[in-house]
Amino acid sequence: MDPIAVTIALNIIYEITTLFVIVLGLAIVFGLLKVMNLAHGEFIMVGAYAAYFCQDQGWPYIMAIPFALFIAAILGYLIEFTLIRHLYRRPFDTLLVTWGLSFLLREVIELVYGKGFQSLSNPIPGSIDVLGEPYPSYRALVMVIAILSALVLWVWYRRSLTGARVKAMVENPELARAVGIRVDSLARHTFVVGTCFGALAGVMLAPLTRVEPFMGLDYILTSFFVLVVGGVGTILGLSSGAGVIGGVQSVVSNLFGETSGYFGVLLIAILFLWLKPNGLISRS
Amino acid sequence: MGLFLGRSLILLLGLFALPTLLGDFWAYQLGLYFIYSIAALGVGICWGQAGFLPLGQAMFLGIGAYLSGFSLVHFQDSFWLLLLLPAAALIPGFIAFFIGLLVFRGHLESGPFFALITLALSLLTFQIATNWVDVTGGFNGLGGIPGLPGFEGFESLYYVVAAVLTISIGVVAWIIKAPIGVIWRGISENEKRLTFFGYNTAFLKALAFGISGVLGGVAGALYAPHQGLVTPNLAGFILSAELLIWTAVGGRKTLFGPVIGAILVGSLTAELRDVIPIWELMVAALFIFVVLFLPDGIAGWPERLFQRVFGRRLSGDKVNLAVKIGQKSPELELASCSLSIGTVDILNQLSFRIDQPGIYCLIGPNGAGKTSTFNAITGAVKTQAGNITLDDELISGLLSHDVAMRGIGRKFQVPSILPNLTISENLRTALWGGRCSLMDFFGYTPLNWTNTINTDLKERFPFLIEENKPAKELSHGEKQVLELSMSLLGEPRLLLLDEPCAGLSSEETEKVIDTIRWIRSTFDSTILVIEHDMTLVKDIADQVIVMHQGQVLAIGGVEDIQRDSRVREVYVGVSI
Repeated sequence: MDPIAVTIALNIIYEITTLFVIVLGLAIVFGLLKVMNLAHGEFIMVGAYAAYFCQDQGWPYIMAIPFALFIAAILGYLIEFTLIRHLYRRPFDTLLVTWGLSFLLREVIELVYGKGFQSLSNPIPGSIDVLGEPYPSYRALVMVIAILSALVLWVWYRRSLTGARVKAMVENPELARAVGIRVDSLARHTFVVGTCFGALAGVMLAPLTRVEPFMGLDYILTSFFVLVVGGVGTILGLSSGAGVIGGVQSVVSNLFGETSGYFGVLLIAILFLWLKPNGLISRS
Repeated sequence: MGLFLGRSLILLLGLFALPTLLGDFWAYQLGLYFIYSIAALGVGICWGQAGFLPLGQAMFLGIGAYLSGFSLVHFQDSFWLLLLLPAAALIPGFIAFFIGLLVFRGHLESGPFFALITLALSLLTFQIATNWVDVTGGFNGLGGIPGLPGFEGFESLYYVVAAVLTISIGVVAWIIKAPIGVIWRGISENEKRLTFFGYNTAFLKALAFGISGVLGGVAGALYAPHQGLVTPNLAGFILSAELLIWTAVGGRKTLFGPVIGAILVGSLTAELRDVIPIWELMVAALFIFVVLFLPDGIAGWPERLFQRVFGRRLSGDKVNLAVKIGQKSPELELASCSLSIGTVDILNQLSFRIDQPGIYCLIGPNGAGKTSTFNAITGAVKTQAGNITLDDELISGLLSHDVAMRGIGRKFQVPSILPNLTISENLRTALWGGRCSLMDFFGYTPLNWTNTINTDLKERFPFLIEENKPAKELSHGEKQVLELSMSLLGEPRLLLLDEPCAGLSSEETEKVIDTIRWIRSTFDSTILVIEHDMTLVKDIADQVIVMHQGQVLAIGGVEDIQRDSRVREVYVGVSI
């Protein structure tokens, strides 16, 4: 195989799979609860800072996962309990409040760590051979975890009882409550699962990116565009959205520079809004 | 008008006196926050009036500032500046207007999509400003910008800024009281309803965004000579966020809220940011608090008090509009229209034709497709097959507001009104639909418009006279009547009524039926009514259309329908 082609293909797959990880938490919360959590990017940031904290303490990197999940779960519970649960039927206010929350979380991190960049060392240095080409091991691991988590989530949602309850809640909250499903606590757990997936994405990406208070901004935007293009509610839609956005971004950026890549993604999102307002694959 | 100018003059004199009272340092600081408050006024129009959220407002300030700074650097003391500086203020407005048209077109939404697109655009502007070093000076910014000719130095520029701020406040005060302000608030309440009155809401929202873009551009054009340096940060995320926070804290729905918020929170932040480490944290928390519990901000209560004491009701001679109803009776034809959602066929080769004026009752069991028929006619849903024509012109495929403009009015089954607007604002919104030109939207004469239907309706239903009562305080029956009245005021040639008497007392029902008959006989119009109550149907129908499973089962006079065995089969469930 052509070595350059392999490298490019791997990079594009990497781009798409990381995008999938980034968008997952937002997609769960928006798809199931209809809450557009503008603070989603900040949960990714919190996860990344949690990873930084662990590495700074000299703990093994794997410890960052439970630590970040712990923090994100506590934050998620607190936020759902104090703010979000009052706003399930007020989408516009949700938008504003989560936007304010994103500000709040950023300020907290800035108070503790300052505005500067933090860089993490790579927990798994070295490379492995993919089709005869060396590829960084940690990146390869991230790709594998992303694909596995998509599969697990898909199977769980289709097969499990909780998945069925969530589906019932999404379809008709009143009826779900009437047949004995505890909708309030189910919604709270769904929200927390969303924030935890955000933090997990942060832990995974922290060694590969610059960790700084404003890093969440880019994540929320690209995640949202993935939702617009892919459509809400299915893993397949999410993957295809990540494919289109990640593909366009990496190809256009490589050819014409970062600003053009950004512009390309924006144009695609607007075009999709006109031509396919429900995205590529929508749950009917 | 006189009162209006008088107030503006008092405000201007007050602002002019400030430097003498507070000293030079504050004149400089205030000048900067006056500039920001001009941009915040724009956020107030978008968010407080039209109800959509601009998360990237600073980009217009940034574009205006770069244009103005570039002009001042390269055309110093040239007369071209007389042209270039106004252009620097207006170009961001045009950009905003086109972005608005692009994003709002064809779908009724004021939620996350618009907000995040504007956020992305503001980050894009930041990137362009950073990377286009030749023109913008890159990350370090465009420096060495000279002052405005004749107003060099911030002391003298202060007076220019104060004057522009006064004018901006005056213009915004005018706009939000004019019909366009009422319509914007209506859009933020119930955008879908307004499209059925014939409003092109996408255009009107883009207009709001365009005006806010001009205000941003004006602020930017002043910022460049005031600061002498324009950096990419001016177009970026943080200032956009601050503009939103200032507007929220000051009071997004009020006139002075954005200004007060920008000056108060803005200058306090500048003072206290370094003194109190958690200051910005407190501001973020304050923002959340205000959004949830104080939608009118800190200016809300004082401004209402001021309005009560000094506000004067606009009064003028009523202008009676000519009646347009009944000019030509419509010919509506549905030809094999089909609509299915998933595996369910909602409409199945539906065909019928109406070409004579009269009252047509559309009946049929639940799920027969009656409301879907209305949705298809009014452009609320697109049929997958078949044509709908009005006077032999194709109307299937048109957007709802285009259909409404051709003289089709609609009343919904569940009363669809503008709950936080007053009764008179609800009625006016309906009356203006399809009648207001772009000029009318910004003038005050439409506030005095009325027509014979309006006068007659107020006699029939006296509660409509309580002009200043918010519509949400009405009872269910009154809401039904209000919406019926609203759909009549547009004088549609073809009126679609979806169970107009649902939930009404027998007394109210009688009055509503009487009103429908009055419209029918006085204006010789065509009315299509969905109704379940057969006694009512017998009472009013000239013709009855029976629907079953998305098709027309029978059509004819009441007695023919009653004798029809197929109809009885559907209703009684046995074959006879």
